[in-house]
Amino acid sequence: MARVKQKKDRKVTWKEIKRQKSLLIIAFFVTVYGFIFYYWPLTGWIMAFQNYKPGKGILGSKFVGLDKFKFLFQDAAFIRVIRNTFCMGVLNLVTTTIMAILFAVLLNEIRSTIAKKLVQTISYMPHFLSWIIVTGILHDALSSTGIINDLLMRLGAITNAINFFAHPKYFWPIVAFANCWKETGWNAIIYLAAITAIDPSLYEAASIDGASRLQKIRYITLPGIKPTIMILLLMNIGNVLNAGFEVQYLLGNGLVQSVSQTIDIYVLNWGISQNDFSLGTAAGIFKSAVSIALIVICNYLAKRAGEERLF
Amino acid sequence: MKKKLITLLLASALTVSALAGCGGGSDSGAASDTAAADSGSDAADAADAGESDSADTSASNGEVTDFTMFITMPGSEINSDNEIAQMIADRWGVKIKETWLTGQTAAEATGTLIASGEYPDYIDSDDMAQLVDAGALVPLDDYIDQYPEFKETWFTPEEWEKFRQPDGHIYWINPFGNTMGESTATTHNDEAFWIQVRVLEWAGYPEINTLDEYFKLLEDYVAANPTMEDGTPNIPYTILCEDWRYFCIENAGQFLAGYPNDGSVIVNKETMTIEDYNTSEDTKKYFQELNAAYNKGLIDTEFATQTYDEYIAKLSTGRVLGMCDQWWDFAYTVNDVFKQQGLDEQGCNYVPLGLTTEEGMVNRWHTYDDTVNQASGVAITVDCKDPDKAFKFIVDCAMDQELHDLRFWGVKDVDYNVDDDGLYYRTDEQRMECADTSYQASHLCQYSYMPQWGGTSRDGKNANKPEEQTSEFQNGMATPLKNCFDAYGARNYVDMIGSVVETNGPWFPMYSYSNNFTTDTPGGVAWAKMGEIKHEYLPKVVMGADFDTAWEDYMAQYESCKPEDFIGEMQAILDTFK
Repeated sequence: MARVKQKKDRKVTWKEIKRQKSLLIIAFFVTVYGFIFYYWPLTGWIMAFQNYKPGKGILGSKFVGLDKFKFLFQDAAFIRVIRNTFCMGVLNLVTTTIMAILFAVLLNEIRSTIAKKLVQTISYMPHFLSWIIVTGILHDALSSTGIINDLLMRLGAITNAINFFAHPKYFWPIVAFANCWKETGWNAIIYLAAITAIDPSLYEAASIDGASRLQKIRYITLPGIKPTIMILLLMNIGNVLNAGFEVQYLLGNGLVQSVSQTIDIYVLNWGISQNDFSLGTAAGIFKSAVSIALIVICNYLAKRAGEERLF
Repeated sequence: MKKKLITLLLASALTVSALAGCGGGSDSGAASDTAAADSGSDAADAADAGESDSADTSASNGEVTDFTMFITMPGSEINSDNEIAQMIADRWGVKIKETWLTGQTAAEATGTLIASGEYPDYIDSDDMAQLVDAGALVPLDDYIDQYPEFKETWFTPEEWEKFRQPDGHIYWINPFGNTMGESTATTHNDEAFWIQVRVLEWAGYPEINTLDEYFKLLEDYVAANPTMEDGTPNIPYTILCEDWRYFCIENAGQFLAGYPNDGSVIVNKETMTIEDYNTSEDTKKYFQELNAAYNKGLIDTEFATQTYDEYIAKLSTGRVLGMCDQWWDFAYTVNDVFKQQGLDEQGCNYVPLGLTTEEGMVNRWHTYDDTVNQASGVAITVDCKDPDKAFKFIVDCAMDQELHDLRFWGVKDVDYNVDDDGLYYRTDEQRMECADTSYQASHLCQYSYMPQWGGTSRDGKNANKPEEQTSEFQNGMATPLKNCFDAYGARNYVDMIGSVVETNGPWFPMYSYSNNFTTDTPGGVAWAKMGEIKHEYLPKVVMGADFDTAWEDYMAQYESCKPEDFIGEMQAILDTFK
């Protein structure tokens, strides 16, 4: 701590600048990059307060104040998409996190290195499939002649094929399942890395004390990766509203649109299809604002709880 | 120290995953870029080849210009070395690379083009008003004036006026709906309840006039014939609900009530008022009928979730006995497949029935006059390399009979023959070949969204399109279809549906106005919301266990969209015709 303070107090001299010129040059480019790609696009937010027309541009469009936001919050469909986005986001977050931790812990218990590597490699493969393929597989598997219906009928659980995509109640679980299937292996990598970093002597000591496998998981592994879990959770909570676009877009249809549409799809429908860029931007701003608020709140809560935190 | 290590590890893992995430995104972007670049260079290569060819054969025509064209409809791309496209390029100096809608909705595709600000040379979109708003289109007025003959023949002055936008310019030209000389229409190129001829044949060709009778017939047929000849189960009825094509479920109410296809509303000619068919008794009865049929198991259980491709694939198997659809939405693809698979000889061809709510009502399913849909058409964008040449080609398409014959009939002595009287005809072999998709891609080139004529060709004998040539139509028909027409005393599809012959008002069709509504007006917002609600609730109403509660739910949602705003704006448009 003291050293940091000392550094701050030191005066910036030309000699110092010269000495660090390579660092400064690198930093300069990164700053410019960040400005161009992260901050400059934010000027487009002006559109949310205008009745923006692509033909007229930002300078020529009429300023309408908060009209677009008013429209948004009076639109029952928007309230519904917020609910959908939030619920699917939370559902995805919870299921993928639990599955990833569970998977990492189980994988860690495998003694044979070859088997472990093999399972790990296979399980993270789906991460590299694009959603269009995953949804294609799902569509086929869940169709009336697909494997799931076939299986259920053979087992006698149902008599008529269920049209899974026609019932709103199935939609969120299907999306959560798809996310789990695709990301469990991938997300587990980080937890596995964290588990490897746990001091082996702890396990040895526990063994000597006669701890069972489950007890070792309960008292050593899980507490060992707790900081990692906290950090990842925090970072992902900011992403809750990014519940997805492709899955819902590709799996959705008219019948389930009241539960399938997310904020991103709403933005696409109004911003691109109806060409109301302003409304799309307003919805986007709202989403960003909520995401930032979520992160700050959770960070604060984590701090209160004395846990690992982001800032 | 350990903690630091973990954090470091974590951080790097996160960066890696983040990078991978970005990488994934940009990869697919890059892939599509290169794909686009590839197809571009393919076209360029072909053009190069074309130039060297044409240098030998027709030096006078100069160079070939490659144009791109985007059409917000699904379609099949033709090969870049398509033979007729090359002939057209040699002769008329223009080669068009057409791209079609894939995966997106029409509105999304147009919106994406606007957002990117990069346009193809030609565009035909369902959202022309948005393209005008974005300043994407070249005003065509001056070009049109340069070709007085075209201006005179293609549209009447009143029709041209309909295309004039609020800013005083004309930006697009509808390529369809023009008939030259005597009409030779043999097809019912409109909406109808379709039924396979084998069903009618089985029942002894009964008179079917109401929806009631229609579903009764389907029910009886499927009870007696649960499967096709090869054992595939029959599907009595299916409904397409995807995206804009949900008209297949949505607007039958207006026809059943005996009104023509104004599309988004009913026009009561007597009082000159706009009526909403969504809430009408006829529509309610129609959905009640569908609901009953669904609960009897007559309707495909997957109807609400099927995509257009799945729907066409389903129809192409010949299993579907009936549906409500527009001819152009299914017939071209499906009939070709039937022919190729021999299903037409099993009686799988569809014929239209002019159903109404009650017995004895007049049906107006068929539109006899040319319908000019001023909401869409072919336009030239501001990014066009050579608007003069691009426009000249539009004119050529409309005015040059030789080009027209090449596009629709194909190459003389290869795709069709000419008899001693100068009449064009095709042999069975040629007919089969023209129905083959790989031949269509490598040889035929219709430029199907460029101006085209129906009716009789300039030679006074032949039809402009093979399917309208009487002899072609007669000879191309499969026996069961022919028997069916004979049984009903009909010569063709138009006779079959038997709509009343009538001229529509100058406002017809009203959908060409509502299609261009934007969310700038309350009516436009209502229209967009009504569409969303209907997309969700119409299938629900059909599938509802109890019709009345489902209908009430739907009506409550529907009213909340303020349909009166929409109706009011449509009335204002209609009032300009008073």
